[in-house]
Amino acid sequence: MDVVDLARLQFAVTGNLHFLFVVLTLGLAPLVAIVNTRWALTGNPLDAQMTRFWGQIYLINYAVGIVTGLVMEFQFGLTWSGLTHYAGDVFGAPLAMETLVAFFLESTFLGLWIFGWQRLPKWLHVACIWLVTATAYASAFYIMIGNSFLQNPVGVRDLGDRLELTDFGALMTNEALIFAFPHIIGAALTTGGMVMVGASAYQLLRRTPDQALFTRSMRLGVVVAAIGVLLTVGFGFAQFAGVHEGKFEGNAGAALGLGFMILIGELLMLVVPFVMLPLVAFLPRWRWIHPILMLMTPLPFLAVILGWMAREIGRQPWMIWGKLTVADAMSPGLTPGMVGGSFAAFAGVLGLLAVVDYALIARVVRRGPAAVTLGAAPALTR
Amino acid sequence: METLWFAVFAVLLAGYFALEGFDLGVGLLLPVLGRTQERRDRMVAAVAPFVLANEVWLVAVAGTLIGVYPALEGEILFSLYPLVVAMLVSWVLRDAGLWFRRRADGDGWRALWDLAIAGGSLGLAMGWGMALYALATGSGPIHPIGILVGAFVALAFAFHGWTFLGWRLKGFAGVTRSGRDLLLSGLVAAAPAIIVLVGAAGYLLEHSAPSATLTTLGLMVVPFAPVIVGAQVWVWRAFRTSDRIPSFF
Repeated sequence: MDVVDLARLQFAVTGNLHFLFVVLTLGLAPLVAIVNTRWALTGNPLDAQMTRFWGQIYLINYAVGIVTGLVMEFQFGLTWSGLTHYAGDVFGAPLAMETLVAFFLESTFLGLWIFGWQRLPKWLHVACIWLVTATAYASAFYIMIGNSFLQNPVGVRDLGDRLELTDFGALMTNEALIFAFPHIIGAALTTGGMVMVGASAYQLLRRTPDQALFTRSMRLGVVVAAIGVLLTVGFGFAQFAGVHEGKFEGNAGAALGLGFMILIGELLMLVVPFVMLPLVAFLPRWRWIHPILMLMTPLPFLAVILGWMAREIGRQPWMIWGKLTVADAMSPGLTPGMVGGSFAAFAGVLGLLAVVDYALIARVVRRGPAAVTLGAAPALTR
Repeated sequence: METLWFAVFAVLLAGYFALEGFDLGVGLLLPVLGRTQERRDRMVAAVAPFVLANEVWLVAVAGTLIGVYPALEGEILFSLYPLVVAMLVSWVLRDAGLWFRRRADGDGWRALWDLAIAGGSLGLAMGWGMALYALATGSGPIHPIGILVGAFVALAFAFHGWTFLGWRLKGFAGVTRSGRDLLLSGLVAAAPAIIVLVGAAGYLLEHSAPSATLTTLGLMVVPFAPVIVGAQVWVWRAFRTSDRIPSFF
């Protein structure tokens, strides 16, 4: 394996790890915001419990999303400085917007939401989680502007040795973006919904005391996942209009990713909106179906990884389609020893944290709402 | 436009040192001032509401570096490769420590992640000193004097963290500090970054992105600037005083 392959593998592994957590963050954020709002409206203790339970899962998942994201941001300079040298004047702009505006606000409001429990006025607290949701989607939008530019470089003038930004509007209306962004959002909603359904199925199957909470959660999850699947599949097919000719031909990795992603997509399309949604009133009571619902939870995660494989491997050998190859985008002077060292460090640490994180999420799901610490009341003694 | 963006970049980097400086300072003081689990819990809870709003300044520094100084971004990070990797791993471990320490029961679990916070904070503080020295002198990423500068930055952050504890948990760390003291210790923590920024101003200005890119960026950021500033101010207003609400971190 040469140095380019190693650098690609490092980006692919950290990127996929990042997205596994990001997709659930994007999917759960609006769900938590919805239940938080309902709680603010009704003042019902059940809604409070529901907000705290799903909020706790959302936050544990968020942790690894952040730390993998940090590593992603710095990799552009570490291993792909050829990209910023050639197209930094263009590609840098959406990344700057994402970090300076969208994520900056998201992180600030997230801190206010987590630690503002019992401290901020009720509606300001609710506003925080909606702002976190909105800025998370804005983040995804800016990142997708950057990614779509790599897929289909528009809005630039080619100066030979570098690209110059001429029209940011063209970047925002890139045909590689306008269908891909809602496709991703749909996939995130599907993931968030299916995780809610799977975790609720576990609790309902075990007949824990929180039947009311998980009955509601399962129904909310099914409705949101159904909307998500329809969005994903609809915009998924619409995307093909903007895909470069021959992208998936003679490219085994991309074709494989695309094929299996579509397979999972079709399966979910058949089951979620056309079987689960019409039966949404009965699903929480049918215990025999709960193991099947639990087994379905990993499917959206698998599909998004396959989808990224199709999109990113399909771009090979280009970093920027038709303009800059991946090999030319690599930092000049990068050695296998350097990438090998950083890859081992990043993959080792982030991989371990990802495993721990999923174990912690599973623990919350297993122990149920009573053990949740988010928004716990102050201890009366001491 | 170049000057304006340099000002934004400088404020972000110096601000990161002044703000995240006390988070890292409290982190590396955990083994010193937090001999018992209960004391460590209070120290972490003191910084917890600020961390997310503070560390994001560095995310913004890196984003601004890519957007405003794309020609330099790769050069700077690549020249410091092993150091940047070590700093990222430190940062990741510090964050993981904060997020994970209360997620399972048992003293061993929490002590382990407190160690990650302390080690990560120390690694990041030392790394900053070494990185600034290497950038200022053009030496390699690992240099004996750089390590000394790293130790100085760690000390400055520890002082800032100690002052922060004196301000938010009055009397906890043996001292009570005012908001003005905290401002001053923030200046001490930011000093290394400010010195390097002053020295590098000309070089940075020369390597700015073309004005078309800077103008586009400026027009897109300006509408959000009041919200960004307002949100940061809100954090300080909301969490000025500590209380008995159990911390999530």
